[in-house]
Amino acid sequence: MLLLSKINFMVKAVLLLLIILSTQVALSQKKITLSGSIKDESTGELLIGASVRIKELPQNGTASNSYGFYSLTIPEGDYTIIVTYIGYENFLKQYPAHISETINFSLTAKSILKEVVISANKPNNDNVTSAQMGTEKLSMTQINNVPVVLGEKDILKTITLIPGVKSAGEGNTGFYVRGGASDQNLILLDEATVYNASHLFGFFSTFNSDAIKDVSLFKGGMPAEYGGRLSSVLDIKMNDGNNKEYTVQGGLGLISSRLKVEGPIIKNKGSFMVSARRTYVDFFLKASTDSTIKGSSLYFYDLNAKANYHFDDKNAIYISGYFGKDVIGLKGIFGTNWGNSTGTVRFNHLFSSRLFSNTSLVFSNYNYTIQSLQTDNNFKATSQITDINLKEDLQYSTGGSHTIKFGINILHHTIAPGDITTTANSSFNSKSIEQRYGFENAAYISDNWKISDNITLLYGLRFSGMFLLGPGTFSSYDISGNTINKNTFSSNQLVKGYFNLEPRVSASYQLDDQSSIKASYNKNTQNIHLLSNSTSSTPTDLYVMSSNNIKPEISDQLSTGYFKNFDDNIFEFSAEIYYKWMQNQIDYKDGAQLIANQDVESELTFGSGRAFGLELYLKKKFGQFNGWIGYTLSRTELKFDAINNGNYYPARQDRTHDISVVSIYQLNKRWTFSSTFIYGTGNAVTYPTGKYQIGGLTTFSYSERNGYRLPSSNRIDIGATLEGKEHKKYHSSWTFSIYNIYAHHDPYIITFQDSKTVPNTTEAQETSIFATRIPSVTWNFKF
Amino acid sequence: MIRIKFYIYFFIAGLVFYSCKRVIDLQLGNNSGKLVIEANITNNPGTQIIKLSQNVALSKTNIYPPVTGAKVTVTDPFGNIYPFIEGIPGTYSNQNLIGKSGNNYTMSVTVNGTTYMAASTMPNFVNLDSITYKNDNFSSKAGQKQITVHFQDPANEPNQYRLILYVNKKQVNSIFALNDDFIDGRYVNLDFQQNSIDIFPGDTVFVEMDCIDKNNYTYWFSLQQQQVNGPGGGVTPSNPPTNISPFSLGYFSAHTAQIKTLIIK
Repeated sequence: MLLLSKINFMVKAVLLLLIILSTQVALSQKKITLSGSIKDESTGELLIGASVRIKELPQNGTASNSYGFYSLTIPEGDYTIIVTYIGYENFLKQYPAHISETINFSLTAKSILKEVVISANKPNNDNVTSAQMGTEKLSMTQINNVPVVLGEKDILKTITLIPGVKSAGEGNTGFYVRGGASDQNLILLDEATVYNASHLFGFFSTFNSDAIKDVSLFKGGMPAEYGGRLSSVLDIKMNDGNNKEYTVQGGLGLISSRLKVEGPIIKNKGSFMVSARRTYVDFFLKASTDSTIKGSSLYFYDLNAKANYHFDDKNAIYISGYFGKDVIGLKGIFGTNWGNSTGTVRFNHLFSSRLFSNTSLVFSNYNYTIQSLQTDNNFKATSQITDINLKEDLQYSTGGSHTIKFGINILHHTIAPGDITTTANSSFNSKSIEQRYGFENAAYISDNWKISDNITLLYGLRFSGMFLLGPGTFSSYDISGNTINKNTFSSNQLVKGYFNLEPRVSASYQLDDQSSIKASYNKNTQNIHLLSNSTSSTPTDLYVMSSNNIKPEISDQLSTGYFKNFDDNIFEFSAEIYYKWMQNQIDYKDGAQLIANQDVESELTFGSGRAFGLELYLKKKFGQFNGWIGYTLSRTELKFDAINNGNYYPARQDRTHDISVVSIYQLNKRWTFSSTFIYGTGNAVTYPTGKYQIGGLTTFSYSERNGYRLPSSNRIDIGATLEGKEHKKYHSSWTFSIYNIYAHHDPYIITFQDSKTVPNTTEAQETSIFATRIPSVTWNFKF
Repeated sequence: MIRIKFYIYFFIAGLVFYSCKRVIDLQLGNNSGKLVIEANITNNPGTQIIKLSQNVALSKTNIYPPVTGAKVTVTDPFGNIYPFIEGIPGTYSNQNLIGKSGNNYTMSVTVNGTTYMAASTMPNFVNLDSITYKNDNFSSKAGQKQITVHFQDPANEPNQYRLILYVNKKQVNSIFALNDDFIDGRYVNLDFQQNSIDIFPGDTVFVEMDCIDKNNYTYWFSLQQQQVNGPGGGVTPSNPPTNISPFSLGYFSAHTAQIKTLIIK
């Protein structure tokens, strides 16, 4: 019954939307539509989020979508068209707009030596006028300028410098957005889900910045076209490849090297890009005299490839893929490897100048293998998750003040939780855990409605369904984890289904040209859950779908904010507050065994959470000296019946204060200096409040969950870039950085143990990972 | 085990260059004076011991006040009640009880008017076949050894084990709990992965293997998981789930116990 009423509500909502729209269309005057693509003049790379405006009609404007396409409907007339994109020369054109037609724009990049580009995408007040809030776009230039450990430029580490986004720990690419857990972030690379975005246990991210064109993070006010995770969407787009000329670029760093080749397949029609990165720590191991270490492997690599072809102005195809792997092994003892692979085929079609369509077929896989190679203990354990996703996204400009997006998404998951194979003389048995199959389907519609000159409304609905399917044996468990019943399902038989209706609304009210207030509400659901009772990214991460035991995670977020620009939009300031309710959160019972456990769902316990906070953000986007200051004041609490007597307790990721300061100073054409400062309240942790002796060992007793704090963390990193002298044929640069300039001991973990100095007492030992300055140097080239 | 191997290797491979450990001072709460019950019934003839003590603040020395004057009994499935008599303060013992596999024992401890109850069934005895040593793969110290235990896990029945390792009569500060989810019916060769006491030629090693019931396995496995201190730490620590009701720290376990000795050459 609940389902029927939800469908009923949804149908009504869609009808209402259509009525509003048709009224709008009927009222509109004679209008014409300009549409086309916006590209980089020299490389032909499509520009995402470039702004198209009409000087004479300041309230009319649009931005290019993820495929570089724009559509702008305006009353007939003679206008000046202004196209702008950060890091590019503004493009102005007098244009007699009397018939609907295709106009493609090519923008010229400002010379890399002339200007440092920083921060949000548009050198205008779109951040104030747009209804979208809780979003952040990072330019690759910005990411490249921020100093990081060992000089490996890293998208995931750079986004943790944004207010509301917190690092999961030093040397960890995991991140928490507005109090959400790290598995509540949807990380997309060309629309494919990347399940494990880390290399080497989280010290490096899987994203090679050479291959990346655009990074957008949504931490609130999530548009209806995204779904499936509670906290955030990190939407990463790969470079398309230069369609004018062949270029090679790369870098030699201390721990890894990179190489990228790109060029036209057919000039101005199609191009390709191939980018690779590999670490070489293992070459040092080869030099060891110890034969075991010598025969060891320790490396990771990434391969990104993309090709596109534009048949004509109306049809284009994009094919892209990512393949990455970590390999760690000790000769004759054990070997392990894990990695993601993704593949995306996209077809863009323009039905009319107002109706843009993108059809995507997306493949995504994450797998790991662990092998014990010792004869009497041998085993090979494998696990993987495979997704196939069919998406249809449509974007329609009504010709009035509406831009409508709608589409469907059919996502099939196959999860192989664990297969263990062994030989007869091993201590271990072969074991295979049943595979799980399911569909995560969704349909959405959203409308960006410019109600008046100063009010914009972005509203939409996402209708999501989760269907767990057979074949297999599915057990239900009681609260203590005992099996209540066990049912066998045949192939494609529905085991459990869930439907959810997710409204997404945000609105902006413009106070004046340079300030606005915004508010948003959105509901998100999540049907795929990470099971890992360790806080770092481990390759043995296991995913489960919502099931007869696990309900979809649900969050409701309300946020509101004040946005203000100063000095001709050179400074941007925002203050946002949010409150988030989270239901059906997952934790593990004591002694939970998550690896290759058929009854893993019996080890889970469910609760709720709440998160609220204030985010202040001041950016200076232009000038020799630029950067930003972010401050977050927040609280994140969880509530589980079995933990802390059923009272709210701070989540591990609860961080009261979080400050980040990023500054970049361009001294002259060749030297650019940068620094980052971070400060954060320590993680909430559980410390013992007593001790006793059991089993001959000192054992600790605890009274409350996460009742203590690690000491606060703070650090300054500095970097410098030296551009090589201008040369006709090639360009080179050096990047230097020093991580942790004042060698601060940031606490990573505190453990309690028997004192080694004073017998019969206990001491607290703090471990810091990077407790020293870490210098690095990278040489980059391009020709 | 899998995870431990990872972490050890990980530390060797990378972090050792940059990481730093130091002892720090912390202001911690004091929730002391709580009853701790450590009660074991074994299949071996001799003295069965139940110890009652209290926990102390972390800042105190490891001297745990005994709980004296308690009424302590164990009842076998045939209704025989075995009283445990206090000798050394806080240590209660009985000479007549010899545990038998398959028997369910009930412990009763009355302290200050509160009666704590727990039950445990002694599992089947599994023979500890042998213990051997070999060079430690993960060690950089020449001659350092690693101990391996060998035993046949009985097929088609759930078995849980707790292993205790002593080097020169000093107990290794690690918990080793194991069930047969992955080893049912196999001849098992299990390496002790530990770094609290380095083992070299000349050392004498004792290994005790206890066959424990499921609840006690969960108890020890929970403690073991909290010991894993790899990157990011182990699981969030808490008091392990006990079979004693109402809640008290500690456990009651009826288990088989066997010890083997090995001199490293």
